[in-house]
Amino acid sequence: MNESNRHDIVIIGAGPAALTAAIYTTREDIDTLLFEKGVVGGLAAVTDVIDNYPGFSSGVAGLELADSLRKQAERFGAVIELGEVTGLNDEGDYKRLETTVGDIYARAVLIATGCDYNRTGIPGEDKFYARGVHFCATCDGAFYRDKRLVVIGGGNSAIQETIFLTRYASHIDILVRSKIKASNVLVKDLQPFIDQGKVSIHLGITPKEIIGNDNGVNKVIGTDKEGNSREFMTDGVFVFIGLKPNSDFLKNSSVKLDERGFVLTDSNLETSIQGVFAAGDIRSGATMQIASASGEGATAALKIRKYLEGRLHHDRLETRQFEVIS
Amino acid sequence: MVKDITIFTTDTCAYCSNVKTYLKAKGVGYNEINLDQEPEKRAEAHRISGALTVPVTVITRTDDSQEVIVGFNLAKLAPALN
Repeated sequence: MNESNRHDIVIIGAGPAALTAAIYTTREDIDTLLFEKGVVGGLAAVTDVIDNYPGFSSGVAGLELADSLRKQAERFGAVIELGEVTGLNDEGDYKRLETTVGDIYARAVLIATGCDYNRTGIPGEDKFYARGVHFCATCDGAFYRDKRLVVIGGGNSAIQETIFLTRYASHIDILVRSKIKASNVLVKDLQPFIDQGKVSIHLGITPKEIIGNDNGVNKVIGTDKEGNSREFMTDGVFVFIGLKPNSDFLKNSSVKLDERGFVLTDSNLETSIQGVFAAGDIRSGATMQIASASGEGATAALKIRKYLEGRLHHDRLETRQFEVIS
Repeated sequence: MVKDITIFTTDTCAYCSNVKTYLKAKGVGYNEINLDQEPEKRAEAHRISGALTVPVTVITRTDDSQEVIVGFNLAKLAPALN
């Protein structure tokens, strides 16, 4: 451990919870490093439009919100390192993070790694990944101008991203295993595209296989509720079937996870390791809302500050005791 | 030695921003081809990368050899700059 790899706070992740926490801690001159393996801004950054984040009366592009949060955190001195944390070890006063750029030590750690999109696991999904099967509409939608698409899923992300994809695609079939679970507001926003015949919703369809050739994807095969086979001709497939926590790096640590892999915390957002906190979508019980993630980021920052003040006070006492004895 | 870097991007791609931010932080210049502004170049991006996605980063070295990196992939991008 040396000056360059030792920090007061290391925040794992750089989504809304992480960036909000960093705004709070760096504004109080607490040395803070953020570590991000994916995209700065998290899933918010790859969302087309965010309509329910307070303060933006006309909505805000996800990328724009992420960029504003990043700039705000950097204005106060936050440093974002791009790389991956692969392990977390409790070594008492300092936590040791194993990363792709070597070990990093922190007095306190905030886990704010969020979630990633689930995969269907059906045949063809891996084979055609990025060649016809996609998980990011804002990244890959532009390749489907005037093409047919299939969207798999019926939640908020599926409907939101379908609306985005209508700017490119000639027609979109949405395959929903059970029923539409998206908010009424999003469903209402989608309705004009259904009325125009640009979007069709197929309920009770379970995708079974994605078929294609060297040129890419050409159809999705599924079954309906009666078990009948159904085929949907398409040039591409976008999958939005829920979220999985980015917590694999904690599997060998003593941070306790719930049965689905989300991080368990107490009412102070502290995990089973003292000095290690969690906020945002990664936390067990999170509401998966960007505004909530930001709020938890702020709360976590204040709890961490209190924790650090306690540790610093503890250190001073120990130092004074040592001075008296000597 | 790197001679030239070209990145295929779109307006809404967050991973594209990551690649650009990373290169800027490393003090490395690049050319950008925005496929929303130049949609006719989508086929070129597809041909070079074999993928229907952005970002696609094309690193050309002084010996004219090329490395193509699909997505924001630090494990490939960082060593490719050396």
